[in-house]
Amino acid sequence: MREIVTQLLTAFLGSLGFAILFHLRPRLLPWAALGGFLCWGCYLACCGYLEGVFFPCLLASAFAELYAEVLARLLRAPSTLFYVPAVIPLVPGGSLFHAMSAAVRNDWAAASAYGTTTGLSALGIAIGMSLI
Amino acid sequence: MEALLDQLLNIGELLLQNGAEISRVEETISRMGMAYGAVEMQVFVITYSIVVSMKMPDGRVLTQTRRITRPAGTDFLRLEACNALSRRCCRTPLPLEELTAEVERIRTRSNSRLRIYGSSMLAVGSFTLFFGGGPADMLVSMAFAALTCLLQEYLMPICMNRVIFNLICSLLIGLGTCGCVLLFPVLQLDKIMIGYIMLLIPGLAMTNSVRDILVGNTISGALLLTESLLWAGALASGFMLAIWITGV
Repeated sequence: MREIVTQLLTAFLGSLGFAILFHLRPRLLPWAALGGFLCWGCYLACCGYLEGVFFPCLLASAFAELYAEVLARLLRAPSTLFYVPAVIPLVPGGSLFHAMSAAVRNDWAAASAYGTTTGLSALGIAIGMSLI
Repeated sequence: MEALLDQLLNIGELLLQNGAEISRVEETISRMGMAYGAVEMQVFVITYSIVVSMKMPDGRVLTQTRRITRPAGTDFLRLEACNALSRRCCRTPLPLEELTAEVERIRTRSNSRLRIYGSSMLAVGSFTLFFGGGPADMLVSMAFAALTCLLQEYLMPICMNRVIFNLICSLLIGLGTCGCVLLFPVLQLDKIMIGYIMLLIPGLAMTNSVRDILVGNTISGALLLTESLLWAGALASGFMLAIWITGV
């Protein structure tokens, strides 16, 4: 439980960080950060019901796109502004690192397993965002 | 008219360099051209080039191309400003001098240094915790995030391309992190490194490229995908080289 709270909180802050880095207007910052929080929450919820990373990533990314489209209509701004920060926590940086470090240790079984995870999450995010 | 076309290309270039999708750039240029009185607009955009042909009511055809050299970043403020400007022009076309001034104004609105450093540190620190690091890991990764920004500011302009830059940058940061871990064994190397992999990884470029392919802009998508895989490869090689050298 504590782990989940930490993840949601840091997803919020991480999305906020990226939103500032990408020069988002200050007034829109809370919405972008909330997107990261909700998107990761959606991913965690999906993980409870589905196996693997592909479908949770796909659904969370589709959710982020939906969130962004709704906010874009309400706040009259392009939807990319909300979609990009929201989807940041889904980016498979962790599995990419583990794949590479397994490759350095000559552990090719682990490297290919983590590599597949990385590719599948990237594909899931991309397909999810094109759905809506 | 040539000057107008030049400004349209400037807007296209600004959009492209600040993270707009290919389809948005094409649409914006052709809508604005129509608003300024063209009867037909032929616009072709790929990641590093824009080609526009404008057919005027008197039958003349104007064509200009623009080579885009600077690699793309993301700047939402400029993106929004370009969008707003194009909407305004589609309603009532601005006089050319005003349009030129507006484009110039958008170009100069860059993100401040303080915001870039602060937000990079915030993002990297957050993701170190996100992936299970402790407070000490967070502090180290934030310090190296500031170093990454320094490198981006001073090393990037003298590097040949992003691949070389990513390789050098990740090697230096990797060496620094491994050194810290050797000195203080409580630190978790993987958590710290994942934190700034999240910052440097072209994850968005990769996702955007797949979307470009899925909506039919295959050339741009394939170009961006190849490039982002190369960047990610360089990034990973740099980190792994550092781990291998220091033997952590």
